[in-house]
Order: sequence, then C-alpha cells, then structure tokens
Amino acid sequence: MARRLIYPLYQIGNPQLRIFRPPFSLTLVRPGKEQPQDTVQFRIPMEMTKCDVRNYLEKIYNVPVGAVRTRIQYCTNKKRNHLNQKVKRPDYKVAYVQLVEEKANLRFYLPCHAVTTGSILWVQQQTFEFPDIFTEKDVKSAEGSVEEMQEKFMEDEKQRQKPDLRRGGVTEWFGL
Amino acid sequence: MAATSVGRVLTLCRQFQNAFRISTSLAVQQSALTLTKSQSYLDRLTYPLLSSNWHCHVGQYRPLHTTISRRGLEEFFDIPENWGEPTVKSGAPWTAKQLRTKSNEDLHKLWYVLLKEKNMLLTIEQESKRQRIQMPSPERLKKIERSMKRLDTVVKEREDALRLLQTGQERARPGAWRKDIFGRVYWYRFREHALPWYMNKRYKRKRFYTPLFVTPHISRALIHITSYQNTEQGERKTNRTPGEVSPNEACDCIPCFFA
Repeated sequence: MARRLIYPLYQIGNPQLRIFRPPFSLTLVRPGKEQPQDTVQFRIPMEMTKCDVRNYLEKIYNVPVGAVRTRIQYCTNKKRNHLNQKVKRPDYKVAYVQLVEEKANLRFYLPCHAVTTGSILWVQQQTFEFPDIFTEKDVKSAEGSVEEMQEKFMEDEKQRQKPDLRRGGVTEWFGL
Repeated sequence: MAATSVGRVLTLCRQFQNAFRISTSLAVQQSALTLTKSQSYLDRLTYPLLSSNWHCHVGQYRPLHTTISRRGLEEFFDIPENWGEPTVKSGAPWTAKQLRTKSNEDLHKLWYVLLKEKNMLLTIEQESKRQRIQMPSPERLKKIERSMKRLDTVVKEREDALRLLQTGQERARPGAWRKDIFGRVYWYRFREHALPWYMNKRYKRKRFYTPLFVTPHISRALIHITSYQNTEQGERKTNRTPGEVSPNEACDCIPCFFA
C-alpha cells in the first residue's frame, strides 16, 4: 500500500472499508507531562483517526482499548537554515489511549469514537508505565583478556590524575 | 541455510497464528538460531512461550499461559535482554527475489511482522532521542523499510498480473490525458465524487482546456520542447510504455461523467 492512495468514497449504506497491510506505524512515547496510570501516549500519522487507532491496537496488538483522544501538535516554521530559508519541522498527531479490562463489555455498545468518562467504572484498571530501556549494564570482561587489562590501566590512570587527599581540597597552584 | 531460516520464520508465523499449540521442536530451533531475518522478533516470540505455568497435553506440547494485553504493549519494546546493549544483531533485509517465492498468505503475515518490528524500532528511536543516547543499531530501520517496500512491490506485481489477465486493464486507477490551462498535457487520475461533474463547482473551476488568449504563446514553447524530444537525449529520457495513448492525441474536450 503506497502512501498516496485515495480510499473509496464513503456514503451511508456502503460496506465497511477494510485496509489490508496498513502502511501506518505507531510510536510509543514517554509522556512529557504527567499522565494517569492507565494512559499510553502514541505518535500516530496524521491520516489516522481515533477509530483507526482503536482497531489497530485491538486487531494487531490484541490490546483492549477504552478511550482514545487525539490532538495535532504544530511544530515550528520559524527556524531558518544556513541559507536563511525557513525550515518547517513536521507536524505530528498524538493519541492518548486509555486501557481497560477485557471483561468490561460495555464498550461494545458504544460507538467507535466514544469517550468513556469517569462516570462509567471499570473493574480492575490496567496500568502501564513506560520502562527504562537504556539502563547501563555492569559488564565484567573475561579474566586475562585484553579488555580487562585495558580497563585496569584506565582505572590506574584515573587514580593518578586525582588530587592528593592529604592536601584537604587545596589545589596544586598554591606552592608546596 | 537461507532455506532453513526461511522455514523457521514460516513455521513461527504459523505458530503465531495457532498460538496455543507449541511442539518441542522449539527447543531445537532456539539452540540452532543463527543470524536469521527478523531474529529479534523470533527471540521475542519464543520468550512468552517459554515463561509458562499451565500444563497442556502430555509430553508433546509445552505449557503456555495466556494473559491479555500486557504482552501487547510489551511488543513495542525489544526483549529485556537487549535493553542497554550498544548494538543488537540483526539479519539481512528481505530481497524481492526471496519474497516472490512466498505465498500471499505468508506475505500478508510477514507484513504485520515487519510492521510490529518497525513500531518497536521507532519507539526505541524516539526514546533514545529523549534520553539523548545513541540508538542501538539504527540500520535495522532501513532494513525494515526496504523489506516493506519490496514486499509492496511484489504484491503490486501480482495484482497487476491478475488484473491484466482478468480484465486487460493496465492501470488499477482509471485516468485520461488532459490539457491544463497552460496548454500542457498530463495524465489526470480520476477521483470518486458524490456528484456528477457538471454539478461539481470545485471541479469546474479546474478548467481542463486552454483559453484562447493562451494558445498563441504555447507554440513557441512547444517548438522548443519537441525539438529537444526529437534529439537523442530527449528520446532517451521519454521512455513510454508500448500500447499507451500518446499525449499528442489528447483532446481538450469536455471531461466525461466519471471524472
């Protein structure tokens, strides 16, 4: 499915449009502002709607979705490059997806784009926390290897560079 | 090697569909895993199947637990083993030649495999930008994009062949050669409208004909263009497919109903 496709016109009574091999990709992002525990934040292509996001997550990822809210983030056109031309940072759409428990079947009776407010109580709300992906692991290289010797050498060098503790924080600039 | 790896991917696709039956051949696969295409995806598939505490049929099948949704959102991230690694190994992208050997069903499943992988990589890329850390092995994104492009090409080829055989139509989307107000001829692709063209005000504003006061100025421009086209350079550049109506035969007539 190429990008510049035009989908068939929809009029009342037409069959539901089905897209095989969707060309859309979602990006899960860490929320900039504090979000409720059950809310997941995505960056989605501009062409997608709330219904699309819901169907996407339910069909492809098997994630039961409660409410979806979207907004379009406008990015600046003010920046200029080295030729003094205006450079546009591309806009993007953000979707806030609230998760629900599978047992709550009420959402099947609601339309696709319904916003479920706090008045409907869900049993056992699911939570999602954005994980920390880039934790540094403590890698211990094998004994007798070149890397271990290199690491030891670097550590010794660092020790030599540190100032003398007996001077009590006073720099070497002052004589003696 | 390629055949067995491909077989492994296929079998895992089938397993992904029938997610409740896993045979003990999985152990063999995992131990023999080398650099295959979408290896990280294979690893992530085997992971949930290994963490199990539900006893299935005697002997033959491994137990499997099925929790909902948490697994779904975890697919946006890599396997926990690869978190914090500076580089992640990945196989070669799919080539068009390899994809042509696959059935339509397999291509359909592969598209979704690639799509999920792409989503995962985009998530990691965005997070790395946020944390101001280099993304581990960014070449994976390019590989995925190329594979998806090639898959799309193969599917289009098959659709084109089918359409040519069944209907004889060369293009999927109907269109016509039309003149614009500047006298230039171009291929206009039809769109679907809810109204006929003579009631469509926006469409009538487009004017697929050249006004009389423009036509005298076209000739000079046309001479220049045709003289270039008749030279060797021009003929090399304009490679038109055989059997197509040439733009010179386009008429600036009133557009038809299905416009």
